[in-house]
Amino acid sequence: MQRILIANRGEIAVRIARACRERGLTPLAIYSEADATAPHVRAADAAACVGPPPSRESYLNIAAVLDAARALGADAVHPGYGFLAENAEFAEAVGKAGLIFIGPPVEAIRVMGDKTRARQTVAAAGVPVVPAVEDLPVDAAAAERAADALGYPVLIKAAAGGGGKGMRVVRNAAEFRAAREAATREALAAFNDERVFLERYFERARHIEVQVLADAHGAIVHLGERECSIQRRHQKIVEETPSPGVSPALRDALTTAAVAAARSVAYVSAGTVEFLVTDADEPYFLEMNTRLQVEHPITEWVTGVDLVHAQLRIAAGEPLWLTPASLTPRGHAIECRVYAEDPAQQFLPSPGRVVLLREPQGPGIRVDSGIAAGGDVTVYYDPMLSKLSVWAADRDAARRRLIAALRSYAVVGVTTNIAFLIDVLEHPAFVSGATHTHFIGEHLASWCAADGNVELAAIAAALHTALAPAATAARGGQHPPATPWQTLGAWRLGGAG
Amino acid sequence: MQLNYRSGSHALPVTVRREAGGEFTVTTGAGAQTIAATLLDTQTIQLVIDGRPVLAYVVRLGDARHVWIDGQVYVLTPESSAAVEHAGALAPPQIVAPMPGKVLQVLVEVGQQVAEGDGLVIVEAMKMEHRIIAAAAATVRAVHIGAGQMVDGGAILVELEYGTPA
Repeated sequence: MQRILIANRGEIAVRIARACRERGLTPLAIYSEADATAPHVRAADAAACVGPPPSRESYLNIAAVLDAARALGADAVHPGYGFLAENAEFAEAVGKAGLIFIGPPVEAIRVMGDKTRARQTVAAAGVPVVPAVEDLPVDAAAAERAADALGYPVLIKAAAGGGGKGMRVVRNAAEFRAAREAATREALAAFNDERVFLERYFERARHIEVQVLADAHGAIVHLGERECSIQRRHQKIVEETPSPGVSPALRDALTTAAVAAARSVAYVSAGTVEFLVTDADEPYFLEMNTRLQVEHPITEWVTGVDLVHAQLRIAAGEPLWLTPASLTPRGHAIECRVYAEDPAQQFLPSPGRVVLLREPQGPGIRVDSGIAAGGDVTVYYDPMLSKLSVWAADRDAARRRLIAALRSYAVVGVTTNIAFLIDVLEHPAFVSGATHTHFIGEHLASWCAADGNVELAAIAAALHTALAPAATAARGGQHPPATPWQTLGAWRLGGAG
Repeated sequence: MQLNYRSGSHALPVTVRREAGGEFTVTTGAGAQTIAATLLDTQTIQLVIDGRPVLAYVVRLGDARHVWIDGQVYVLTPESSAAVEHAGALAPPQIVAPMPGKVLQVLVEVGQQVAEGDGLVIVEAMKMEHRIIAAAAATVRAVHIGAGQMVDGGAILVELEYGTPA
């Protein structure tokens, strides 16, 4: 295993390329026509185009990705997260092409990728599961009766799903039919599989997950939990470890269940077992993500384990070198996801060009970024710009460090959620650790950007105009003249960070 | 030098006068103050106000100035800009796509009466469905798109005439 095709884009592809390089492996990139100059392409030694911008025709095109692997002389494939990462057909095709798939066995992906089979499999291994209707009748009236029998509120989820897509909360029978139709459409569009099922919905639940690592020889360890309750549109935006709301007894229950769930599918590589924890501290298995998780950096912060290095070592057949005793977490880590989206407009994505970018720096600060100044946030892909994570000795120190880092993070050209994230982290309920999945709806539903510094901004703009007359004089104020500096503004000296 | 900016409903007139010592006297609605200003690069300005340093990034995009201060970006448009709308003005009769995407469903027909909050069009963008709703009771005057069609951000989807017919 020497040449690693990274079948992904954005920050995760950059992050995997770095790990490959650190291990003396050769990172290889794929890109769509929209991404030819993206940072993840520059992070690799060689790259191949896999098709037009829509992901279905490029990053999700198995034949094109395998062609790229052949053309670039890859001997292994790392799928990252999203796209084909949890696609069993892809993992199988990679194996059949004679390449190593850096991830779990095909059968583990297949079982955990089918939410109903996953539930049955882990339940048989003694893991508690959420009450659900697995075989939702096709007939609309029969489906409504099944939802009534389960009891409202119910959650409609895509059988092949993840990431909040195809997911709908239904609070009463009147909303059920339309919600099911919409969820079915989203599921079909996102996963090419329209099957949905129902789960009992818990209003004040927390979302807690456990990181596991397993080798190809049957050894499995857990790397503690991550608290992921701060979500918008069922997608996490702030994650932390350890969870402020997990007692030692609950942690034992969660981690034991996570290892049992992984063992039930003979898991190999890095994986995450997600649990819903009710306000009565009852944990229920939600799903297992058979891949590297977006928020893996916070586990790396507190355990000192590099999870991508671990995946590469496990894929090469190395037996697990970690023991539970070597995995005592240290300190506290928090991550937030910086998105090009408008929190004041229902978190609507905000595509456009990132004209100015200043990322935070300093001790205990990590930026996993997939965008460079001058880069475009397109409508084709997830609008996440970066993951900003911090480590500190305790939770409040980490929280303050993250706020300071966000305050120094400048993104101009697209609307971002940075000011919103600061308000989440400063909210008294977050400070006290009282997080749950309705945190944003409950505390920040009618959020809008503060305009406390708007007059100062006008002063800065006016003085900028006064000091930079060359850039603003003449031409009726319509177009700035093309000074070399402004042309260079689209480039970041020294390449991608 | 007199500059008139606007941010949302705020009118922000700023007068700047350079003093002999190199500082500026800056007058806003809140009064006059003396400010030292240094351009650190073409997009970065350092202000010192009452001994307190303030770092700002200023980027010009079209007519607007985007100014970053302390984790927040303010978009300032010239006061003369015709695009400025007063808060509380009537909702626009032309319903436009909030971003590029694909029309999944058109929920209304020409001539149909809609109530406030009724769905007009479902657009898929970035893998999420966005339901575009009527801001007030109206009659549908025109439908410019069909299901399955790709639309650009700002494309007119539907035209409404507000008010309920007698």
